[in-house]
Amino acid sequence: MSILRLVIGRVLLSLLTLLLVSIIIFAIIEVLPGDVASRILGRDATPETLAALRERLHLNDPAIQRYLSWFGGMLQGDFGNALTSARPITEILAPRIFNTVLLSAVAFGIYLPLALIPALIQATHRERPVDHGLSVVTLILLSMPDFLLATVLMILFVIMIPVLPAISLVVETSTVSQYARALVLPATTLAIVMAVYAVRMLRDNLIEVLESEYIRMAELKGLPRRKVLLRHALPNALVPTLNVTALNLGYLIGGVVIVEKVFGFPGFGSLLVDSLQLRDVPLIEATVLIAAAVYIAANLLADLGAILLNPRLRAG
Amino acid sequence: MTTPSPLLEVVDLDVAYRHGDGWARVLHKVSFRIGAGEAFGLVGESGCGKSTAAYQLLGYRRPNSLIEGGKVLFKGCDLLALERHELDRLRGNRISLVPQNPTTALSPGMRVGHQITEVLRTHRAAPNDAAAEARMIELFRLVGLPDPERVGRRYPHQLSGGQQQRVTIAMALACDPDLLVLDEPTTGLDVTTQEQIIALLIELRARIGLSMLYVTHDLGVLAQIADRVGVMYAGHMVEMAPTEMLFRQPRHPYTRGLIASVPQLEAVGRPTERSLKGLLRRDELPTGCPFQPRCAVAEPSCAGNRQRLEPVAPRHDVACQRWRAIGVPDLAMVKGEAPAVVEAAAIPLLSLDGVTLGYGGARGPLARLLAPVALPVVQDLSFRIDRGETFALVGESGSGKSTVARAVSGLIEPLAGAIRFEGEALPRSVGARSSELRRRIQYIFQNPDASLNPRMRVGAILARPLEIFQNLDGAAIRERIARALDEVRLEAGYAARFPDQLSGGERQRVAIARALVADPDLLLCDEILSALDVSVQASILDLLARLRQEHAVAMLFISHDLAVVRALADRVGVLYRGQLMEIGPAAEIFTPPFHPYTHALLMAAPGIQTERRPPATQRLASAPVAGNKGCVFAGRCPWQVGRLCEEVAPPWQLAGRDLRIRCHIPLDELSARAVWRPDREGPRLAEPVEPSFLPSKSRAAPR
Amino acid sequence: MMAVAQPTMPGESRWERVARFWRRAPNSFRIGAVVLLIHLFVAATGPFWAPYGLSQMGTGIPLAGMSWAHPFGVDQLGRDIFSRVVHGAHIVILLSLSGTFLGLVIGAVVGLISGYVGGWIDEILQRLIEALISIPFLVLALIAIAAAGPQLAGQPILIILVVALVYAPRIARMARAAAVDIATRDFVTVARLRGEGAWSVMRRELLPNASGVLLVEFALRAGYAPVLIGSLGFLGFGMRPPTPEWGLMISENRALLIVSPVTVLGPGLTLASLVVGLNLFTDGLARILGRTVRLADA
Repeated sequence: MSILRLVIGRVLLSLLTLLLVSIIIFAIIEVLPGDVASRILGRDATPETLAALRERLHLNDPAIQRYLSWFGGMLQGDFGNALTSARPITEILAPRIFNTVLLSAVAFGIYLPLALIPALIQATHRERPVDHGLSVVTLILLSMPDFLLATVLMILFVIMIPVLPAISLVVETSTVSQYARALVLPATTLAIVMAVYAVRMLRDNLIEVLESEYIRMAELKGLPRRKVLLRHALPNALVPTLNVTALNLGYLIGGVVIVEKVFGFPGFGSLLVDSLQLRDVPLIEATVLIAAAVYIAANLLADLGAILLNPRLRAG
Repeated sequence: MTTPSPLLEVVDLDVAYRHGDGWARVLHKVSFRIGAGEAFGLVGESGCGKSTAAYQLLGYRRPNSLIEGGKVLFKGCDLLALERHELDRLRGNRISLVPQNPTTALSPGMRVGHQITEVLRTHRAAPNDAAAEARMIELFRLVGLPDPERVGRRYPHQLSGGQQQRVTIAMALACDPDLLVLDEPTTGLDVTTQEQIIALLIELRARIGLSMLYVTHDLGVLAQIADRVGVMYAGHMVEMAPTEMLFRQPRHPYTRGLIASVPQLEAVGRPTERSLKGLLRRDELPTGCPFQPRCAVAEPSCAGNRQRLEPVAPRHDVACQRWRAIGVPDLAMVKGEAPAVVEAAAIPLLSLDGVTLGYGGARGPLARLLAPVALPVVQDLSFRIDRGETFALVGESGSGKSTVARAVSGLIEPLAGAIRFEGEALPRSVGARSSELRRRIQYIFQNPDASLNPRMRVGAILARPLEIFQNLDGAAIRERIARALDEVRLEAGYAARFPDQLSGGERQRVAIARALVADPDLLLCDEILSALDVSVQASILDLLARLRQEHAVAMLFISHDLAVVRALADRVGVLYRGQLMEIGPAAEIFTPPFHPYTHALLMAAPGIQTERRPPATQRLASAPVAGNKGCVFAGRCPWQVGRLCEEVAPPWQLAGRDLRIRCHIPLDELSARAVWRPDREGPRLAEPVEPSFLPSKSRAAPR
Repeated sequence: MMAVAQPTMPGESRWERVARFWRRAPNSFRIGAVVLLIHLFVAATGPFWAPYGLSQMGTGIPLAGMSWAHPFGVDQLGRDIFSRVVHGAHIVILLSLSGTFLGLVIGAVVGLISGYVGGWIDEILQRLIEALISIPFLVLALIAIAAAGPQLAGQPILIILVVALVYAPRIARMARAAAVDIATRDFVTVARLRGEGAWSVMRRELLPNASGVLLVEFALRAGYAPVLIGSLGFLGFGMRPPTPEWGLMISENRALLIVSPVTVLGPGLTLASLVVGLNLFTDGLARILGRTVRLADA
């Protein structure tokens, strides 16, 4: 199969998934159980307010029509207005997304060395004390819920050694150094969680490659150990790494929800939680769909990367 | 011949592998020497330690292995005492390896040319990159790779298995090594490719004068390539002799069994000595002779006495205390009775008429919408099988022979043509067939590891067909299972075991029993011997021959192994790339005239009696694929008659009573060209009519 | 291979067999099992011996730090945190296990059908599974809870359903992969050639061979369920106060972090120890079954 067809097929599949996701989100929030308006208003509802809200949300229209106009608007970049603040959702989202992208970028920067170095050490010293020690550390970190890890880091660096602010609040006028101080703890939390997953997988991948016959062949060709590792082992262990990174991106989108909330960082994740607490239906739908779209895009990129990196597919 | 001065000497090597909490000895005081220019073969069943011994010659230790004693002296220097950086200077340079499986041994992400120049640069065998490049091309030419510049830029997966193995051979030869270690270098390859690689190795030996250690389980290969052979059993060297002497006068009972186990292509009969019985069980090895539990001539003291190699003749050593008593065997063959000729019935049991088969281009309906092409694997195939008849379909892997069995069983639906059973059209898919039809056609798969549910006991596996087809109740089922196990020579107690508690041969027996309890009329046997060890193959073959008599069942026997086919089949069809090349009674298939492809297969099949052939003229590893207009074998055919073969579909020619050959070359010329002879008394190596196997465009059209 | 060959020695009692299995089990399995047993013991008996009642106030000075009487401190309302953690154990464990189990059953059935039956059914189920997995699991859980409305909010059944909703598609994907793999093996072909129906093939041939995968998958998911439930509680979408769910307690006491960190660390480390135990147990189980655990799956 030609590579172009593979790529196009993969892209089409992603778009189909996104379409399905939008239907699922719409179905869960607006259609499934009972009346949206009374859910939003809760106990304070009076018949008049309910009717007004229904009118505002076009709840009297059939579901399919509402879905189409909602999704159609999204496609044109029009997310509608938030319920609570009545501001355009795009306007609310923009600074939040900027903050979260910044946070994720810093987190990824910390994550890469945090994942690669221990994995390399473990794979080359397998079944030795270093390997076992690192395994125990990763296991414990793996078992820590991210909100606990965030809290522990906070206890360490805010309370015991007070060098960082407890609340990572930034506004558009914040200085670079304010941003930096605000980002350290949340980014480190995210990086640790992602790295812990990656270390284990990378270690196993590397070991598998190191045990393969072509590595034995390379050794029996008389290549020195360093060349075997760098020229034959690493390149072949990198493709699966890409996959872990995509999985981690997927985690990141959920992880920011918790971590931003813990540190009071005004990003996309805390917006999502706030919109849920305020029952701001249009805002919820927009944020959830964006989160899913990012996840799908990350997986798509990882797959395409794997296709391009695999000589079998690239040349075939 | 005088003993050459040893290039390499292995002295009393003891190696153990970690096994649970302790160590399990895999090599016991193994000693041998290899002289300069000598080819030494190590042979034995899988797990006998031959590969472990071979890798010690490269100073390679598995992570969980321990060398408990001994020396490996290379030009007087003990390899086992060297540091890694000292070994690095020898490996790939003075001593190099040709691995078993080139597909996994070549680095998947690196161009093959680069993998060669890397060796040259590492060992400073080439002063600069350009020189390394030139040497790489020279090496590729030496090993017969077509278009070396282009091949060098390919990735391993873009080459065929035979081409990959040529690359690893080129890599091993790169620095003009003193010693080549070959670890089963042809095991993973097709028969014809196997033959080409062996021919290449023989030729290289003649040209470069290499020393070799050749490790294999295949005695036939060693007969062609080795000067001396060492036979290993359970980590012990049990016999060592010059090749011809070993085959003519094997002394050790194990060697004799091993030789007798190899199915003979040249004669239908069976050797006087029976093949090996039982299996190597590592946990039940006696302290003395390891072969004692399986040995027919053992005496009680064998189990306790450590056997040492002692000379029985000049340069012939054997480790058996009974060698004097059992004497020298006579390996003359007895002609067996040819299988009875089955009278052709009016209505055949199974008939295929112009059947074309293929698989869909992609998996999943959504993907298929994007890529709806079905690639035909088998084209316009016709044959018939009568009641009680064994029809063998022979061909290399990829010839589509298994696809035929799958279509008959209803697993895939034919794209065109008709399959009839007792004259009636078979419903195309298994779901559309009646339970009765499903019972009457039973399928036995190649690999019993995969065809038995690992989570079911043998009893339950055998009970399912009885419940479904025979409608029996509990007691009757148990009784029938016991009988079925007995028929395949397994104890009744096996019913309580899980498949992974059985050996490979025992599992295949269970699979056969499962097919037979359905009381079928037709057995589809899909390469059912190829996953088994040689000694096990022989016993399963015996079992099949007997069961065929007792049950009067017809068989579609699919195999790549001509020797097996010759021993079992009534009629044979030869398949190449999905098309029949030749079809007829077994007796006539194995006598001239041969279809060129059949002839190539026969020549390629290694057999013990095959004496060394003159080095075959170098052939291209891969020939251009012909368009589908002409003969599918055109381009690979050694006797091709120019463009006619590529452009015009060959006609069927009737030869003899019932033999049909699809070829442009006239029958008498096919007979004249035949080099292979069926009987070993006759002249076995006639001079080839056309010395070059290279397809030549200039050759004249047939008269 | 999947089968755990545990050959029976003649004349061996069941206890001797268990003992032998235990001796040979990997360390991770043994440590994990011990940690789990302690948690199970606390969950089962805790309410009978906890020093103070579930919502008993005035047990000590509010916000007092660690002491012998109050190992995890005292919260703002004067409740003993240690007692509340003990009281909460069975809630956390029961919710995790039942939610994961429900997800396993749904996921396994859907996955096996999708993988074995194939065709359009497979295609549709696969797309649906893919779409559900594309919504980050915490986000999916949160919108499901939000959609459930006020009547169900804070109910244990909602938490169980949400855990199942999050896990079912992920388990289904695993089960499907296993089914596709097993379905290509010859013994399944043999069953099809006998004319066995899809249901029979799934029950007799696929399920027993997929059970190893599913078991590991269950253990793996169950190990993460307390974290998921804790996260929901932490964000205020899980159980309602005064339920002593550990995540919720961490959230309640976070305001006191500066004064008394132990009120947060107590329930937090207890939660972590449960997850460590489950993960070790899973790792050991997977080793026994001869597979490698794939831990990352967001």
